[in-house]
Amino acid sequence: MRFAIRHTGCNAERVGILTGFTRLPNASIETPSAALLTQSGSVAHLTAEVLAKVFSNPQLVWVPLSNSAHLETGLKAQGESLAKFIGLSESVTCATLHCMNDITPPGHFEVDMVPVWTKHGKKMINAERYMELMEVFKPDILLAIADSRTTLTDGLKRNTKAVDRTCNMLNICVKKYKASNYLKNSLLVGVIAGTGTMSKCKNCIQNILTYREAIGGVALAGLTDGTEESLNIGIDKLEDIFKDINKALPNDLVKFIDGCWSPDVVVTAIQYGWDIFDGSYPAKLTNAGHALALNFDVNQATTELCLLDLNDAKYKEDFRPVLEGCQCLSCKKHTRAYICHLLNTREMLASVLLSIHNLHHFDQMFVHARNNIASNTFVIYKNHIVNQYMEYKQMQDKAKENVEKPESESEQAKKKICVSNEPVEA
Amino acid sequence: MAFKTPSLSFFVQAECKTTRARSGVMKLPHYSVKTPVFMPVGTQGTMKGLLPEQLEDLDCEIILGNTYHLGNRPGTDVLEKAGGLHKFMSWKRALLTDSGGFQMVSLLKLAEITEEGVKFKSPYDNSEIMLTPEKSIEIQNCIGADIIMQLDDVVQTTYQDYNRIKEATERTSRWLDRCLKAHKRPSEQNIFPIVQGLLNGELREKSAREHMTKNVNGFAIGGLSGGESKDEFWPMVHLSTGVLDKYRPRYLMGVGMAIDLVVCVALGVDMFDCVFPTRTARFGCALTSKGQLNLKQKKYSMDLNPIDKDCNCSTCKTYTRAYLHCIVTMETVACHLLSVHNIAFQMRLMQKMRENIENGTFPEFVHNFVNELYSNGNIPCWVINSLKSVGIHI
Ligand SMILES: [Zn+2]
Ligand SMILES: [Zn+2]
Repeated sequence: MRFAIRHTGCNAERVGILTGFTRLPNASIETPSAALLTQSGSVAHLTAEVLAKVFSNPQLVWVPLSNSAHLETGLKAQGESLAKFIGLSESVTCATLHCMNDITPPGHFEVDMVPVWTKHGKKMINAERYMELMEVFKPDILLAIADSRTTLTDGLKRNTKAVDRTCNMLNICVKKYKASNYLKNSLLVGVIAGTGTMSKCKNCIQNILTYREAIGGVALAGLTDGTEESLNIGIDKLEDIFKDINKALPNDLVKFIDGCWSPDVVVTAIQYGWDIFDGSYPAKLTNAGHALALNFDVNQATTELCLLDLNDAKYKEDFRPVLEGCQCLSCKKHTRAYICHLLNTREMLASVLLSIHNLHHFDQMFVHARNNIASNTFVIYKNHIVNQYMEYKQMQDKAKENVEKPESESEQAKKKICVSNEPVEA
Repeated sequence: MAFKTPSLSFFVQAECKTTRARSGVMKLPHYSVKTPVFMPVGTQGTMKGLLPEQLEDLDCEIILGNTYHLGNRPGTDVLEKAGGLHKFMSWKRALLTDSGGFQMVSLLKLAEITEEGVKFKSPYDNSEIMLTPEKSIEIQNCIGADIIMQLDDVVQTTYQDYNRIKEATERTSRWLDRCLKAHKRPSEQNIFPIVQGLLNGELREKSAREHMTKNVNGFAIGGLSGGESKDEFWPMVHLSTGVLDKYRPRYLMGVGMAIDLVVCVALGVDMFDCVFPTRTARFGCALTSKGQLNLKQKKYSMDLNPIDKDCNCSTCKTYTRAYLHCIVTMETVACHLLSVHNIAFQMRLMQKMRENIENGTFPEFVHNFVNELYSNGNIPCWVINSLKSVGIHI
């Protein structure tokens, strides 16, 4: 695996390219980019056939063990690779421990073991077992096992434990990695934990850097445990962390970020040199019935909010595409009204159409980011995205306030009528 | 042999010399459909998570929508503004809708049938609603399917009371007249009458004969596939196709298991629909010519074969049984993958039957099909008897 940086912008933002995958000699992944989050090995709601209609080039797929550990038996029998088993032979696979969209109970740790919350309950797993599974999964990229599900509000005690555990487990991962005939050809990524306590976090980085010869990338974790609160940190605080940690890292490492981050956070991270994101954000939007509708053209005024809630009955007779001008399959053929109907009737096609749009559009955000970096206009682009998201956030907060205000009687009466018109499942 | 009208033309291209099977093309406003045809059911204006282009790739030429569901959600207002269901769901090929009556009677316990129509309590606000023949056609005119169904008086197939069956059969004929009179778009949509009479041969024959005198472009055979035994079922199909003329298409409602399709094509049926192939996909069941596979079973956990090595669907080309075993009943993707395979299976079976009818080898095809499906030698009596009635001796 090779990582080449092609262009660095005015700040630390950079355009890079990942190539030389042993299994896929002709594949390349341009960065910054987002992976596609999978569930049991499949991109949620999209079969390989449909995914091929969304992306023509090889994609990076993100495979969390927490939702795919049950593939082990079949994978063992097959003995080839995860990518082939899940029907995505042409994709680059990246295996990791947790799915950032799952909210899991805190605690449950044991010495040098972390809990994985699978569909079949809690499984305690240590570094040896993790690497044994990786030997079966044969991913193209693997994140080391880590105690990574902490938040910025966690204190010194918790972060010290997290870093100690993560360092111990990395030591074993590296040993196993080097000893494995298959895995030594894949990209090993060290995980930065304990981010809530900067001094501890730096210890974790130091430990990763002692393995420079084995490790080709780092993943920033320890920021969020998947909960809403942990994600609402505020962009300023995150900006400092992205900047600080990036400075502590050598340039030639591929830099990953774990977590379901909204577009404003993503572009901020890109500005400070972060390359690859885990793709949990568009998946979360789809599951909520939301569509992302950012305006990427910095010269064009934004007219609509950048997030549409298609559950809203106001789209019932809206025969426009989700996003005018979007080149995705959903927008070229289908309307907001149709998706609204599919959500209302709980039809599976709603998630399919929303996935297609959200994955395409989220990917486009990265395409535009790369173009803007290359033409040294990234900061303008970044602000353009941040502003759109802020505007959406403000509207959200305002709407929340309105709900909290006591309603007048006539408003209550109006609501009642709405409720009685609500369709009921027959 | 051709039957031509502006909204439906039916060209019979080949007739089996032994059985009543025939292959043809049914030209509808939105698409020319090759028959015999299987029509997958997309109840609420969507086919179980599949994109319209996937259905086209699977060679689906006509699909079903349910009037009762569509009339409620999204409702006729939205459908009218969208320009009909074709545009609303972005489906360019042919569509067929049912009358809504069957759903109403089967879904709602409180339905009451009078001469005026089907009276039921709205599940939305408990008010009384009347679905009349006129109302059913009004909704179906708004949905805009190529083929629409008359409202019929639905009685449970296994119902025994002769007087009630007689009343329902005769009322169905009267309602047909009202439907035809209410029809606003005869140049774009075809009303099919429904042959009723349940399991009573005399009433069924009378129903079919009466429908034959009406100005209609095709016929549906209804009141079957409702829990009756196969020995009771096939003679009613045989009787119906024997009375209905050869020139117009015949549609057997609610039938879609592979063996039923083969037998009923031999009995002279041209069109079928059934929710089974897509519904069973949700439970992890895959259809094959040797029967069904339940992929949830542990024996598939290390099976690296595709569902069916002779199937060329996108699922069989890409995925192993072992992987499907990991995801069935858990991920929506599994449901999509099995729906694709199961629809492909149905389509391939129909395609094979059309080819064999055209090549004059349909009886041989039936022999081979039956022998493969019942490779243990236990061929059900009804299969032997029904095929014997059209000259195939198994
Ligand atoms: Zn789109
Ligand atoms: Zn198949």
